[in-house]
Amino acid sequence: MAAQLSPKRTDAVIVGAGAAGNLFAAALAEAGKSVLVLDPGPAWQARDLYSSSIWARRLRWGGPVVESTGGHAFGAGFNMGWGTGGAALHHYGTWPRLMPSDFTMRSDFGKGLDWPIGYDDLRPFYDRIQEEVGVSGDADAEVWRPAGAPYPLPPLQQFAQARLLAKGFHALGMKTAPSPMAILSQDYKGRPACLYDGWCDAGCPTGALANPLVTYHPRAVKAGARFVNGAHVTQLIPGKTARAAAGVEYIDHTGTVQTALADMVILAASTVSNPAILLNSTGGAWTSGAGNSSGLVGRYFMTHSIASVYGFFDGEETENYMGVTGAQATNMDHYGKQSLGSDAFGSLQWQLAPTMKPNDLLGVAMARADLFGAELTAFMERAVHHLAVMFGFGEGLPVLENRIELSDRSGPGGTRTPRVVHTFAPESVKLSENAAQLGLKIIKAGGAAEPWAGPMASAHMMGGTIMGRDARTSITDSFGRSHDIDNLVIAGPGLFPTAGAMNPNFTNHALALRSAEHLVAQWLS
Amino acid sequence: MQTTQAFDEPAPDRRTLLKSAAFGLFAFTVGGGPMMLTPAEARTRGAALAKLSADEAALLEAFGEALVPGARAAGIAHFVDANLARPHSESLLTARYLDVLPPNDAFYKAGLAALDAASRTVLGAPFAQVSAAAAKPLITAMLPGTITPWQGPPPPLFYLAVRSDAADLVYGTRAAFARMQVPYMAHIEPPADW
Ligand SMILES: Cc1cc2nc3c(=O)[nH]c(=O)nc-3n(C[C@H](O)[C@H](O)[C@H](O)COP(=O)(O)OP(=O)(O)OC[C@H]3O[C@@H](n4cnc5c(N)ncnc54)[C@H](O)[C@@H]3O)c2cc1C
Ligand code: SF4
Repeated sequence: MAAQLSPKRTDAVIVGAGAAGNLFAAALAEAGKSVLVLDPGPAWQARDLYSSSIWARRLRWGGPVVESTGGHAFGAGFNMGWGTGGAALHHYGTWPRLMPSDFTMRSDFGKGLDWPIGYDDLRPFYDRIQEEVGVSGDADAEVWRPAGAPYPLPPLQQFAQARLLAKGFHALGMKTAPSPMAILSQDYKGRPACLYDGWCDAGCPTGALANPLVTYHPRAVKAGARFVNGAHVTQLIPGKTARAAAGVEYIDHTGTVQTALADMVILAASTVSNPAILLNSTGGAWTSGAGNSSGLVGRYFMTHSIASVYGFFDGEETENYMGVTGAQATNMDHYGKQSLGSDAFGSLQWQLAPTMKPNDLLGVAMARADLFGAELTAFMERAVHHLAVMFGFGEGLPVLENRIELSDRSGPGGTRTPRVVHTFAPESVKLSENAAQLGLKIIKAGGAAEPWAGPMASAHMMGGTIMGRDARTSITDSFGRSHDIDNLVIAGPGLFPTAGAMNPNFTNHALALRSAEHLVAQWLS
Repeated sequence: MQTTQAFDEPAPDRRTLLKSAAFGLFAFTVGGGPMMLTPAEARTRGAALAKLSADEAALLEAFGEALVPGARAAGIAHFVDANLARPHSESLLTARYLDVLPPNDAFYKAGLAALDAASRTVLGAPFAQVSAAAAKPLITAMLPGTITPWQGPPPPLFYLAVRSDAADLVYGTRAAFARMQVPYMAHIEPPADW
């Protein structure tokens, strides 16, 4: 039997080396704290990011398969990343801010939940993050944008697809603006400008897109944070009292159970894995899971609905293979919670002209999943040069029954694997249906031939460990501090009490920076 | 056995974790010996299959070809088979995005068996023997889930998974991009050009 080594302690153990985990690691290590970061996936490097939709699949979650069920089952396999960088390694860099109205939905409309903070609390952190990582856009053209510093970089270049789709919006008196993107339109802080090849979904190896490998990971490593890959955290270890965690237990790459003890535990293992780890932590007095006195761990899981609207521009080369995977332009005229009909509720954000490669889930062939055989061949010949697409991202309301729970399947170290249960609220479904109808009107007005709307899809993972003022109705306070466990901080979009209709990663970063600085300040005092 | 890790122990490096994903081609067995081949080459050379039976491979080729013409010659059966033989974390199959529960070979086998049984019942012949025109109504009923009889994984899921595998090989390669006059513009060339 191997000799028992006495456990080494760090000041902080961070679970998950994704977007939030790397930001926390940089902030804490730069403040002089000893930091250990654990992640089950590989230590990806830029050279692993092959430009191929097929090869991109190995960047996605490779741990125990997450079950997905409910009326509108959520695509966990597509939406979860793993390894250094997490989902942010291959995210698309579309970075709009939430709107002030997203924080006060319960007070304003009696629907959903309120945040314990408002837009003004986050605004300085949005401003600082965009300066640190480089966001391109045109603040003046985004007439909907809340107050904040202008973008540090001018907008990205646009291609034919975006110009053609914008015509429809303009014909109906609607506005478009360049999408705010965490992608460099010019060289910035030693990183190169984007080349517009549209391979972002496979991970951007040049450093043009703000993925953790070029933002907070190098800073964390430089400041001494230690990253251990192949480390699947199974549970929190109880401390001396129910209000303390001693550290975490994990299974290392050899399959051996390991212990990492720490003064602070930062859970940044994604919207799905954070609640799963908490629910699997049933040691000591935590009989219903760690941090779960409210019984709400895993509850209020949210996602954005997607209304996809397609059309042909036969006389034009739409260059739909050029640009970036995220979006070239945006419209937020219908962000008002009640602006899409009395039967619908929630915000809508249009994203115009994402790159489409011929294959893959978001590719050209999937635009008409019903076609096969000779009809598909004919469709492809036309579509790869003449198709255009826009996505309407709709707000999914927080619903108590939508949840991450533990399944009956066994996972590493005797844990139970997570299951996501998700059904959109009827008003959210209506929102997406009305968005599709609106989109068809817009694309027709722009002269597209044979327009059609795809089936409602979804993307992004939020909620499950929501923040709030009251320990009975939320899991953490506004800094992500557990209401129940004094040395546990939770990070990631799982904290959001409402989802808005904005891609979550900018807000994720702003929250993580606010939380990490608060933690450091408390620690140092 | 529970141990406690000393942090100065070397962390597993990237090479250990990536294992066979570092190779561009798949290892196929031809004439008893391992060879690195593309799926199309593996098919031409009659490479041994690891997970699918010869009948299942023939059925997958027929279904893939019916969905996306060109998939048979591109080696869909060998492509799927080689990925099924890899650990889930290294699989390149779309099934991974579709939340197909493991083991994935059972998913493909059950789907193929269900399709063949439906074909025998409805069309009076094994699927691999029916013409594209005859198979059309049967395949059309898969995405809406109205195909009967069906005893297997959800028909839309199986349809989407195989259609996407076929589309990967026929439309997702560098050669396919060139055929369609779509510029590939790689930052880093994928290690295999299927
Ligand atoms: C294809 C795609 C495109 C996207 N595009 C956009 C976009 O354009 N704009 C935007 O705002 N957002 C986008 N997102 C979402 C964005 O990537 C996420 O919101 C963000 O990465 C969340 O950060 P996180 O730190 O919570 O999780 P992640 O970045 O996913 O990091 C979580 C990490 O935790 C690790 N982990 C999981 N389980 C365990 C465990 N048991 N033990 C230890 N570690 C564990 C994982 O391996 C992973 O590395 C996209 C996501 C995807 C998948
Ligand atoms: S299009 Fe731009 S951001 Fe996307 S992968 Fe290429 S260089 Fe990176």
